[in-house]
Amino acid sequence: MLVLEQLKFFAKTDRIALVNREETLSYRELDARSNAFAAWLLNTFGADRSPVVICGDKETDLLCCLFGALKSGRAYVPIDSVVPEGRAGQIIGDVKPRVVVDFTGRMLDCDAVVLSPADLAPLLGGSAAPISRQYWVGDAGPAYILFTSGSTGRPKGVPITAGNLDAFCRGLLPYYPADGGVVLHQVSYSFDVSGCAVYAGISRGLTLFTVDHAMTGNLQELFAALGESGLTLWVSTPSFGELCAQSRGFSQELLPRLRQFLFCGEVLTHTLCDTLAERFPAARILNTYGPTEATVLVTAAEITEEMRRDSRTIPIGRAIDGVTLQLERDGAEVTGEEQPGEMLILGPTVGPGYFGRPDLTEKSFFTDPATGLRGYRTGDLCYQRNGLYYYCGRADNQLKLNGYRIELEDVEENLQKLPNIRRAAVVPVRDGDGKVQYLAAFLLLREEDGLTPLKRAIALKKQAAAYLPAYMIPRKMTAVKSFPLNVNGKIDRKALAASLEGTP
Amino acid sequence: MEQKIAEVIANLCGAGLEEIEPELALFEEGLLDSFAAIQLVMELEEAFGVSLDMASLPRESIATPAAIARLIREKLG
Repeated sequence: MLVLEQLKFFAKTDRIALVNREETLSYRELDARSNAFAAWLLNTFGADRSPVVICGDKETDLLCCLFGALKSGRAYVPIDSVVPEGRAGQIIGDVKPRVVVDFTGRMLDCDAVVLSPADLAPLLGGSAAPISRQYWVGDAGPAYILFTSGSTGRPKGVPITAGNLDAFCRGLLPYYPADGGVVLHQVSYSFDVSGCAVYAGISRGLTLFTVDHAMTGNLQELFAALGESGLTLWVSTPSFGELCAQSRGFSQELLPRLRQFLFCGEVLTHTLCDTLAERFPAARILNTYGPTEATVLVTAAEITEEMRRDSRTIPIGRAIDGVTLQLERDGAEVTGEEQPGEMLILGPTVGPGYFGRPDLTEKSFFTDPATGLRGYRTGDLCYQRNGLYYYCGRADNQLKLNGYRIELEDVEENLQKLPNIRRAAVVPVRDGDGKVQYLAAFLLLREEDGLTPLKRAIALKKQAAAYLPAYMIPRKMTAVKSFPLNVNGKIDRKALAASLEGTP
Repeated sequence: MEQKIAEVIANLCGAGLEEIEPELALFEEGLLDSFAAIQLVMELEEAFGVSLDMASLPRESIATPAAIARLIREKLG
């Protein structure tokens, strides 16, 4: 596996792999601590290669555990600390791990060995010989399984193999600075865009500059930290970029060494590109696109001034090396300029399918009979113009909010678990650019609760937090006596969304 | 001013105007997250013609309607 080879290589230098607040971790330490964890896994569980579940935020040792799992031939399953216990429990129930590394201090109810940070410390600090390649995760073996929002109300697992990640690194690294530098490590481990730092960054010998949840939620602290970071490569969702750009202090003066922005995970707006081009004259902007199922990203475009001035949306770019893209409509390939079709991805970054769900896998994954390439139907509508792809929407109810991938049915199913909710309809509220601003829920109650709208919203949000991570809890919760229906007798989501238009 | 601030907040979290009390804890009650807070600050800038910078605002300064009113008064001088 490329990233493990490179880790071994940079462990012979004095480079720093990770900066996390006051802590630093050198490549040498990362290599040694991950060897120690791998050795412990191999000694304790032998040939049983069940995945390792890792619950946490951005703890320094989390990175050591993750590479340790890979060196021992095991996949890891990251569960972010913002995921509520019940939802984490569902994931653990599906994965059936032998060991759970838990940085959150929650009492997880499971049969596995649970390692707390205190248990880990002596384990990672022990000395271990380098782990021979024969134990590493093989090309076709899963390296991680990420759980994303599923339309049934249960998270859906997406395994990605070591071979997929190697292909991703080979495709992305040509866009990275040739040597050294500091990359932003803000994206959650449970969201695959973090791979731009963890896999591509470590493969290039970069230093990961950590921004954890607490820092993301406190701009004052964040800006103070960024000012000391020496950051050269920015990686985030456009939403996090917008959150920072809202402050005028977000400029080249704050980050004098910054040379590149890399955005992934949702639509990049003209407004953000223009702001950054003005405030960071020395940095180029790279827009990218890709679904978790095909390993982080499969297209890239450097955003030029011409693209910024163009009235059409910001392009997602062209296929990275090794990836083949095709647009399809009604079963036929779309080749014409500006003709929209569903984006199909073919090549070595396409994953094996959904974890334990052959039915879902068969619907979206395929093997191309002509080329033998693995393929994935994204459900994203795109068109092509002058060799560049442009994104133009989804064919279903999946959406991106602040970079998070959300299925509306997932939110609805979970709200319907609350004691007084009979039926929930959730709609996205968009701004003028078509970007989702927030979610709004319309609710049929089982019985009158006698609460005012605000008191009810506060109570429901608290209850919902037991089932949903904060980013999936609708900002507005409105009780209704009935739902408007469309001609097919289904809930008219357009009418519901229209009732909120013009409100922030 | 308090009225206008209450309007902005009520709109933002889908509540009735009369429910927005001065000491309502916007973050603690789960009414605002960091993205909604950005929206709030932008609405306040527009409503009062003041310039507020998120990166130099402690969270406490926008944690309740009363705190927001103090902040705006200070900015208006």
